[in-house]
Amino acid sequence: MVEGKKKSRSLKRTVRKTPSGKVKTHYKRRKPSAAKCAECKEELQGISRLRSAKLRNLPKCKRTVARPFGGNLCTSCTRNLIKQKAR
Amino acid sequence: MEVGRICIKIAGRDANKKCVIVDELDKGFVMIDGETRRRKCNVNHIEPTETVIEITKGADHAVIVAEFSKMGIELVDKKSKPKTERPKRQKKADKKPAKVAKKKVVKEAPKKEVKKAEPKVEEKVEKPQPM
Repeated sequence: MVEGKKKSRSLKRTVRKTPSGKVKTHYKRRKPSAAKCAECKEELQGISRLRSAKLRNLPKCKRTVARPFGGNLCTSCTRNLIKQKAR
Repeated sequence: MEVGRICIKIAGRDANKKCVIVDELDKGFVMIDGETRRRKCNVNHIEPTETVIEITKGADHAVIVAEFSKMGIELVDKKSKPKTERPKRQKKADKKPAKVAKKKVVKEAPKKEVKKAEPKVEEKVEKPQPM
């Protein structure tokens, strides 16, 4: 009987050909959804797409963008926010 | 957009910081200074405010620091670290004698341990005597 986790689609399947010629399915954890802007829900750039535990091991520059609200708001939304404050 | 106009930077790592237009460069580009670094900047990346201060075109950074302090904004100048010379790579011929020297140090170290061990034995012998 196959393991339950392998039957469910929570794991991503990749079909690989082994050196001996057999075809095997490999099971992997799926990637989490990409980080999104808090206001316009657009996908953010420059933030690596990993599970939070693995994200912690990365350098800070790969987790955020060097800008106020970087990694939280997209560029256009930050511009609008700062403009509104200035006026 | 004229010299002396106070702006707020919108884009980049200096976003949300106040700056002054120091000079007008090519079409659509200005020189800014203030809380941000002194740098060339696209006009689309700054938001002008109502206030204008009196400075000459191409004013010094020291002048701008004084003007900002009048407005109640203290500018902190970050000092760049002094340059340290990188260790230069030695040629292969130079490396070989260095390795030999290291080995000599290793050989000396165990000899010292042996010397230390000897006095300990003597101490143990001394202790029973007073008893």
